[in-house]
Amino acid sequence: MQNKLLVILLSVALTGCVTSRIEDARETVTGISEGESVVIMAKSYHSGNETESDYITCVEKTLGGGSKGIRVVPNQQFVDALFPWFEPRTAPADTKGLPKLMERPGVAAAVKDMGVRYIVWLDGDTERVAEGGSLSCAAGPGGGGCFGFAWWQNDADYEASIWDLDGFESAGTVSADVSGTSFLPALVVPIPLIARTQTKACKGMAQQLRAFIVQ
Amino acid sequence: MTDRLRLASLAGFALLMVAGCSSTLTMEMPTIPEPRIEKIPVDVAVRIPEDFQNFVHVEEVLGKDTWTIDLGRSNAMLFTQLFDHMFDSIVVLGPNDDPRDHQFDALIEPSIEGFEFSIPSQSNSEEFAVWIRYRMAVFDSVGNRASSWTVSAYGKSQKEGIGGSDALRRAAILAMRDAAALIIMQMDRVTKIRDLADGPLDPATAEPGTMLAETAEDSEEPENVVGIFAIGGIDDAE
Repeated sequence: MQNKLLVILLSVALTGCVTSRIEDARETVTGISEGESVVIMAKSYHSGNETESDYITCVEKTLGGGSKGIRVVPNQQFVDALFPWFEPRTAPADTKGLPKLMERPGVAAAVKDMGVRYIVWLDGDTERVAEGGSLSCAAGPGGGGCFGFAWWQNDADYEASIWDLDGFESAGTVSADVSGTSFLPALVVPIPLIARTQTKACKGMAQQLRAFIVQ
Repeated sequence: MTDRLRLASLAGFALLMVAGCSSTLTMEMPTIPEPRIEKIPVDVAVRIPEDFQNFVHVEEVLGKDTWTIDLGRSNAMLFTQLFDHMFDSIVVLGPNDDPRDHQFDALIEPSIEGFEFSIPSQSNSEEFAVWIRYRMAVFDSVGNRASSWTVSAYGKSQKEGIGGSDALRRAAILAMRDAAALIIMQMDRVTKIRDLADGPLDPATAEPGTMLAETAEDSEEPENVVGIFAIGGIDDAE
């Protein structure tokens, strides 16, 4: 029991500093019924977006997980079911094109079959914005070790646009702005103090999305 | 014995060094989902060129690895699946098949005009990208060229883990899906292939020209190019 407590305390202590700001801007009243679902999409890379696929997977899992989880249709399943209308080049850029898209053969039926009520478009990425320090390691016949100190700062900046397929309108946006600094001091053995910036941005975004959609 | 061991170690090390400087990527067979479209009422013959059965792209990235990308039969699979979804009926012809032995309204001959890729060290990013330029030559039932259309497709995928074969493979698949999406959306409009169901073109009105399908703005009226069926296949007269 004491060992477990030590491991938990150590893992909490051995993390970098993270600051986060999660905000939403609502345009319409939302809500979700039983049987309705959400799909998480990345905005097209044709428009310069670079949202990481593991971030999308993380938001999908977090939004759908737990006792209050929302039903989430996997991104690839949705894109395949509506091929070729949600490919990076062909996906609608705004809600104006949705009514026409729904008139295409089989599109409205496929959306209904999957029970998709909201499409969440993610935009943004995690970038290293600063780094410094120096760390050197050496190894010889008698052993090895590292000495020095390094640090780096990552910024995760994401925005989610929520489209309501009930009225073919934009429901609003949720944004997550997270900054984390990681440290790596080394005195023979390096001790990584990693700031989990992207994970924090994912969890914050998913929680806010759930609150936004469910109300 | 010690010399032999030393020689074997050196040979092993040399092999490792050589292996470290080259990457080989083999494409799996792509699957195009059934598109949500209405079929075009045309009976089509698809002539699969030789290089679609075994397309290999080898490129040395300056000062870095040599990449060998083996697309194998993936292009043949892609176009066979795609046209099967798009048209009322299709018949697939090999490079040596004579089109005159078959009944069809239009014959489509896809080909690869260009294949390019970039790796993270070139683009200064964490991304692999693939560009594929296909040419779609469309002929009527007697061999007049109705249209020649360039389809420029692009796919991008982020690096994950060590190496990059999986990311590059994903980028290539995305580029092929991009080509499929473009062809579905624009082929009928650009090539007027639907009109060929009413009979062959009047060769007197056919004029040379090509179409570019990279953007919607490029998709204007197709110009016609005269072509003929040569013995044993189509003679690309351009």
